[in-house]
Amino acid sequence: MMRIRVDMDLCQGHAVCKEEAPAVFAVDATSNRVVVLAERPDESLRAEVRRAVKFCPTRAIRLEED
Amino acid sequence: MSAAPEVPGTVAPAPAAAQRGKAPPRLRGEWPLVGHLQELRRRPIELFARVRRECGEIGELNFAGSRVVLLSGEEAQEAFFRGSDEQLDQAAAYPFMTPIFGRGVLFDATPEQRKQGLRNQSLRDSFMRGHAEVIAAETQRMMAKLGDEGAVDLLDFFSELTLYTSSACLVGKGFREELTPEYFRVFYELEKGTDAIAYVNPYLPLPAFRQRDRARRRLVELLSGVFARRASAPREKRELFDVLLSLRQPDGSARFSVDQITGMFISMMFAGHHTTSGTAAWTLIELLRHPDAGARVVAELDALYADGREVSYQALREIPQLESAIKEALRLHPPLILLMRKVMSDFHYKEWTVPAGKLVAVSPAISNRMPECFPDPDRYDLDRYAEGREEDARLFAWIPFGAGRHRCVGAAFAMMQLKAIFSTLLRDYAFELAQPAESYRNDHSKMVVQLAQPCRARYRRRAAAASP
Repeated sequence: MMRIRVDMDLCQGHAVCKEEAPAVFAVDATSNRVVVLAERPDESLRAEVRRAVKFCPTRAIRLEED
Repeated sequence: MSAAPEVPGTVAPAPAAAQRGKAPPRLRGEWPLVGHLQELRRRPIELFARVRRECGEIGELNFAGSRVVLLSGEEAQEAFFRGSDEQLDQAAAYPFMTPIFGRGVLFDATPEQRKQGLRNQSLRDSFMRGHAEVIAAETQRMMAKLGDEGAVDLLDFFSELTLYTSSACLVGKGFREELTPEYFRVFYELEKGTDAIAYVNPYLPLPAFRQRDRARRRLVELLSGVFARRASAPREKRELFDVLLSLRQPDGSARFSVDQITGMFISMMFAGHHTTSGTAAWTLIELLRHPDAGARVVAELDALYADGREVSYQALREIPQLESAIKEALRLHPPLILLMRKVMSDFHYKEWTVPAGKLVAVSPAISNRMPECFPDPDRYDLDRYAEGREEDARLFAWIPFGAGRHRCVGAAFAMMQLKAIFSTLLRDYAFELAQPAESYRNDHSKMVVQLAQPCRARYRRRAAAASP
């Protein structure tokens, strides 16, 4: 199963993940950092989650399998 | 404070060691009073390499009384980049910038105010497509001015081009139309005013500092004229600075002076101007020094644009060979060679402690060539970034943009900008070096690195341009 890990020291709130996978990521307006809506997203979202990981400008997101 | 918001999946930062450790070793070769300052002004990269060679991953330098502890190696650099704002402060570390930005701008702000500044809306992903269109058009305009064949000085050419592209994207198109080549020359004088002797005193009566102050006064004068002309512009044509200038205090006086707006303009441009301009020049120089790589990039662009698609579309997508060429230029010739922070509360790393008051630093120029992370580090090799190797994925080693929460917020904009510029240039023009390949080099005598002149290249319009 997919598990999303975010390194908050790296996130700058560019919101690319939100554009790629809106069901999984949001950006908090106050902290300007990512909010993970689904830490273990559904398998059907795999392609867009991978794009979010790949195109994150600060490479703050990791995808683990367990 | 390490109060990262509680978010599922957050990686917790490692707790810092509590007790006080040893003082970092000092680098030999200090002169009375000035310490290592002269070596910094003559051969900075060699000086930083000497710290790593003679002291190891941590070693202390002396810039005329400012004590700077240089950290190197992936692990030590990670500790640096993960430091919180409250422990490691950026603002106090760059005394040579204050006279350039002026008072009340950027580095006077509190960490909280600076965090707000990160949200420059024009850098958001959703604006990128419009920016790409502007950049492609500006590049064509520059080339139209130059004609089908000739030679350019790469420093002047890319400085002028990136001044137009950055101001059009970040300030506004109306404002950009007011700019002339005099502006990039003024910026060049400001950038040359970053002599490290500022560690002694940034207001010494030296030629570089006098030129810096004259250039800044000239910029205020030029912008006063611009704003006076634009004051009569219709409301819907108003852009960022027009709005800021129209703001009033409760007593009716202006919220910002032209001097302060000039400071904001300088600080906005400074981050993205000489850095992008230098990277563009080095991307081109290295492609011309390595004709195989150059041919690969041109073939890739020809194939991508063969169907007549727009640069504004493609520059936001993947152009793997060109991206590798930009990344390799950034790795070998990072525009910033020393990133610094002021230690606000004792900074512990392994058995060492750097006490509050000193500076800590990391050098991208050293890190980007560490052989344990970049095999055969001096070799220009586009395949470093190919799938399977991805040497730029070493976040705390491949650091031309820095890393961590202060990583360059304009990095994605810069990559897109360089892709748009080279898509346009290499599709329509062929370039060649106009002087011996090894004669191109950086001038490291100032803290802002610039290409040393002369740095000329020839261009001619390609016979079978791919555009329809």
